Amino acid sequence: MPKPLIVLTDLAKKFGHKSAVDKISMSIGQGEVFGFLGANGAGKTTTIRMLCGLTKPTAGRASIDGLDVWRDRFRIRSKFGYVSQRFSLYGDLTVRENLRFFAGAYRQTHINDRVDRMVKEMDLEPYRDSRAGKLSGGYRQLLSMACALIHEPALLFLDEPTAGLDPVHRQQIWDFLYQVTQSGTTIFVTTHYMDEAERCTDVGFVQHGRLVAKGSPRQLKQALGGDLLEVHVEPAMPAVLELRKVPGISGVDLRSGRLRIHAADPQALVDQWQQYWPFPGLKFLGYSWVEPDMEDVFNAYAQGRHSQNQVQAALK
Amino acid sequence: MNLLDSLKAILTIAYKEFVHVWRDRRVLLLILVLPPFFTLVFGHAFEGAAVRDVSTMFLDADNSTESRKFADFLHGKNVLDALVEGSDNPDKVRKDINDLLQNLKDTFAWKKWVGPEKGPIDLVQDGVDAAVVIPQGWGKSLQNGTPINMRAVLDGSDTNTAPAVQALLQQALGIFQLNERYELIKNLPEQVVDLGEQLSPQTQHEFSSSLTPWEFDTEMLYNPKLLFVDYVVPGMVGLILQLVTVTLIASTITREREVGTLSQLLVTPLRQGEIVVGKVLPYLFISMFLIAGTIAIGHIHFGIKIHQPLLLSLVCFLFLLCSLGLGLLISAFSKTQTQAIQFSVFLLLPIILLSGAFAPLSQLPGSIRIFSELFPLTHFCRAFRSVNMYRADFGFIAADLIALAVGAVITCIGAAYLLRTADD
Repeated sequence: MPKPLIVLTDLAKKFGHKSAVDKISMSIGQGEVFGFLGANGAGKTTTIRMLCGLTKPTAGRASIDGLDVWRDRFRIRSKFGYVSQRFSLYGDLTVRENLRFFAGAYRQTHINDRVDRMVKEMDLEPYRDSRAGKLSGGYRQLLSMACALIHEPALLFLDEPTAGLDPVHRQQIWDFLYQVTQSGTTIFVTTHYMDEAERCTDVGFVQHGRLVAKGSPRQLKQALGGDLLEVHVEPAMPAVLELRKVPGISGVDLRSGRLRIHAADPQALVDQWQQYWPFPGLKFLGYSWVEPDMEDVFNAYAQGRHSQNQVQAALK
Repeated sequence: MNLLDSLKAILTIAYKEFVHVWRDRRVLLLILVLPPFFTLVFGHAFEGAAVRDVSTMFLDADNSTESRKFADFLHGKNVLDALVEGSDNPDKVRKDINDLLQNLKDTFAWKKWVGPEKGPIDLVQDGVDAAVVIPQGWGKSLQNGTPINMRAVLDGSDTNTAPAVQALLQQALGIFQLNERYELIKNLPEQVVDLGEQLSPQTQHEFSSSLTPWEFDTEMLYNPKLLFVDYVVPGMVGLILQLVTVTLIASTITREREVGTLSQLLVTPLRQGEIVVGKVLPYLFISMFLIAGTIAIGHIHFGIKIHQPLLLSLVCFLFLLCSLGLGLLISAFSKTQTQAIQFSVFLLLPIILLSGAFAPLSQLPGSIRIFSELFPLTHFCRAFRSVNMYRADFGFIAADLIALAVGAVITCIGAAYLLRTADD
């Protein structure tokens, strides 16, 4: 494990009586790409905002590079960049004006050189004098990242940077993030896309404000317990509903037209189905064993089929 | 150097804020066109504070020689020959009478009598603002030595016009009576004059004094021509600028909060104070221009004299700073732009009514005046008028200047404090 950069200790935030973040403890190492996953409202954004010193923790503490995220927030601010969930730039300023503004706000020198270099790196050259509000979603996001990186921080927080983007721009943004990590920058990113979670070196699952799992994608997939059963049944949609009722099956997900079965003993089910297929309205066309991916992991946690204890047990 | 860094950071924000205003062409047009336009319109609206063309119906129910003569006088005909002839200084008397006649002509727009000849009169129903009646038997009553009163019916709901009309009627009647007295003396039989000359010189002088109108020699200080516009323009300029500054700046922080850029701003090493100063600066610059422009219109168009421009500039500067601070405080306090505008409107309402922009503050009861002292516009109006109309010096308006400065500091610090988190 690399040297920890971000350390959370029982970090908690309550809004009134509602607990948004519930005693999260974890540490994120220097140079990691940490993917923070969870359903909407699970507490991802609140956690990021606490780490960025934008909102005060109700209890517990967190530190970045040894500095408390709330008490020392003015000292930390030059150390990280933050790309918030929504497009948060000045729409009536041009691309270069936005960059120049943030370069100034981060008290940088040689602002023009820095801005020109960033425009080039981000492929924003053709749009450099366009108003930021007129850019398409993908370029807006690139510009947001450029603004957050203008002061070359060692840590970058990204809150759902690819939400609502087309696959081409998602790819572009992750390629760029990869480049950024090459210079040793640590990345803390939240996302809904599980293919993106695969690109992370470390992943944490948060549910109802609690951290339910943390580990590398490989570790988490292993913790699911080996290959998954995938059956080919038609028509697929009614099959999902029927199979979910079968005792012994804890979950059924539809993936690329096939059904992934989560069960305590999938082998027994296949043996049974090969002898007798109990659903006259559905056609059983075959089966295979597949390696679980991050989506399976996410579904397993989101549907409460796995808990941190199980994962830790499996990891040992 | 730290201070230099701060200054750079402030200028970065100030430039950005200025670009926001500059690129929002509709708002720009609004703030550049409306203040001068309002100054012109309001200036003319309140210019004619003198009572003019009061629609008055007139009835001479007496129709005697005396009543017809007085009616002619009221309608602006000079019938006061005896007064001029009998005076030691006929030129002055003639001029005074002409002024009075002119005033009568300006004040009254005489209408035909449409009301009942006797009994109560309803001005609204008769479509007039006032009614004057010479009652039947007036002329005869003067000869009998038991003069009966004239009748005037005025609209008491118009607290400006009614007293002015009443005073003018009374003045006209007084002069008329004096004229009649001179006429009487002129026509006295010789024996009475002879008899009079036997009186002691002292008594003769006293008698002569009693026949001369005793007058006040009134000196109007500060606003010698009683031009309401001189009084009202500073109030108007202040009011317009108060509206523009508060509403303009009230949406700046809330807009950033709504769009989400506030979070982005707060994760930078910018200090809250730098953000506040950076945001106030461009608006201060713009509003200094506006206030100079509107005062220039007051000077050029309405002929308002400007005294001690430097001291006035200081008054304007502190007033604008305090108003902008107030707007920024509202902005930092509000969650949405809509809320910010709503807060502004509710705050501006008492400011308009209780700041003494249009009427002297001394007309308000003391308990209300305590509230008035909380508004920047109150201090601005008082300080501006003190300097420009009363020629007050720095020391005289120091209290108002200090109040404005303290207000500016408190509101700006308050706004900066509210910026410590981006919590919604």
